[in-house]
Amino acid sequence: MTRHIPEAVFWCLLAGALAVVILLIRERQISARLRRTVATLEASVRSRDEEIRHLATVRLPALMESGPHQPAGAPGLLHGHLAGSEYAISLKTVSDLFSRSAQAAQARADQSAKAALKASMRTLQGLANEQQLSISEMQDRHDNADVLQDLLAIDHTNSQFGRRAQAIAVLCGSWPGRQRSASSLVDVVRGATSRIRDYRRVQVHAQVDIAIVSRAVEPVVLTVAELLDNAARHSQPNTTVQVNIQPAHNGTAIVIDDAGVGLIEQEIRRATELLSGAGQTVDITRLGDPPQFGFAAIGVLAARYGFSVSVDTRSPYGGVRAVVFLPSALLTRAHDEGPDSVRARPPARHAAPPRPSGPVATEHVAPDDASRTPSADPTPVYASTAGGLPKRRRRQPTAEHTPPAERSAPETPQGRSAQDAAAIIGAFARGTRSGRASSSDHEGNPHT
Amino acid sequence: MTPPGKKRGLVRPYVITDGRAHPTRNTLDLVTLVIAAGGETGGLSPEKRRVMELCRGGSLSVAEVAGHLRIPVSVTKVLLSDLVDSGHIVTRSPIPSAELPEPQILQEVLDGLRARL
Repeated sequence: MTRHIPEAVFWCLLAGALAVVILLIRERQISARLRRTVATLEASVRSRDEEIRHLATVRLPALMESGPHQPAGAPGLLHGHLAGSEYAISLKTVSDLFSRSAQAAQARADQSAKAALKASMRTLQGLANEQQLSISEMQDRHDNADVLQDLLAIDHTNSQFGRRAQAIAVLCGSWPGRQRSASSLVDVVRGATSRIRDYRRVQVHAQVDIAIVSRAVEPVVLTVAELLDNAARHSQPNTTVQVNIQPAHNGTAIVIDDAGVGLIEQEIRRATELLSGAGQTVDITRLGDPPQFGFAAIGVLAARYGFSVSVDTRSPYGGVRAVVFLPSALLTRAHDEGPDSVRARPPARHAAPPRPSGPVATEHVAPDDASRTPSADPTPVYASTAGGLPKRRRRQPTAEHTPPAERSAPETPQGRSAQDAAAIIGAFARGTRSGRASSSDHEGNPHT
Repeated sequence: MTPPGKKRGLVRPYVITDGRAHPTRNTLDLVTLVIAAGGETGGLSPEKRRVMELCRGGSLSVAEVAGHLRIPVSVTKVLLSDLVDSGHIVTRSPIPSAELPEPQILQEVLDGLRARL
């Protein structure tokens, strides 16, 4: 019996050892797996840490720098294996929110900058216009060459100042201001010339009688002024700026050539982009320093009024050729507006009815102006001024050699008979006589 | 009628005179008469062409030319003196007042008429 006891113990121990070994092996396996998992998790946490640091230090600043308009160039994830994970999606949400809020802030800033600029430029524009009016009045009032010389200088500065304010106001969404009547293209170009510094270098070659419709006059003047200013500014002071007007099939082109340095490829691209007005919302905070308002303002005007401007050709003088193409819709015939052209004004319109004078004709004229005495006054023949005053017609060369004859002629037109004339003079004489009689009777006192 | 100011002010006077304020001659005053003398108008500025058109029909005073062109008189003088220099126009001083009928004669005519009636 005792022989069996060690055997039993041995087997028990063996079984125990076996169990321990098995347990140990499992333990090892488990711990190895755990270690692997920990390592993976550690790596994952590290990569996420790195990822979020990358977001904070690289991606968001890049987004901030590039601005809201070109998110394509922004850097992506640092670790590609995270793409598609919950984590990456959250990161994307964060960056989207960030760029959206940056966009909103930018838009707000732009809006308020524009509003502030617009309001202040409108004020300046108003003041410049007011001042121009007073300068014009002074030019009319003072007939003195020295005074005029000074006024011309002030006028010139004032016009440039008005144009600057106007361009900025237009860029900020304002209207170009000043309503004008339809004006001939030549006047429009010369009006634009009036608003630049080196106006004496501009030469206008044109003999066309095309006019621009009233609503487009001021925008086109401003556009041409900005182009002329660019042309004059970027060329030598001893060169000229040539302006030609080319009628075309469905419009007219104003061609401005300078002999300056020209534009490089990149500038042309940028200018074309601005001039097309395609940007629609011009970001006034990104016009450079000092800001370049000219092209941007032209782009806004061109888009709004339907003309086109290009600066991508070289002028024959080596500089830039700027072309403003005005479609037929913006054009009209010169002198159509009538009232202002002298040739439309003259006797032809009014002369016919009163000429065959005499009672019938004068009665016909009388309702026109009750205060007028048709028999003694030749004025119904002539046009009148804005203030209702009759306009004097020029003397004919033959008439001026015989002044007395001309003077007496209207007083006794051939149509009036001798009897009529006598009756009128008689009535006049009787009137004065009775007047004198009554006043002398009572020593100037009213008749009682 | 176009209100003044809508049309005016587009082309400024310094562009019209090319920056000059002093006429080349000092003989023009408000009532000096100017008459077109002919000549080629092709190379002239629009304002000078207008002056030529205006003066072709007869003589006009300086003040009238300024009124028609709607530019200040002193600016008109610069233009006109240029045109005189280039031979496009000639000037003539106004009719002296001595040639105009005297008030006394008019009075006599009136008296005569009165006596007859």
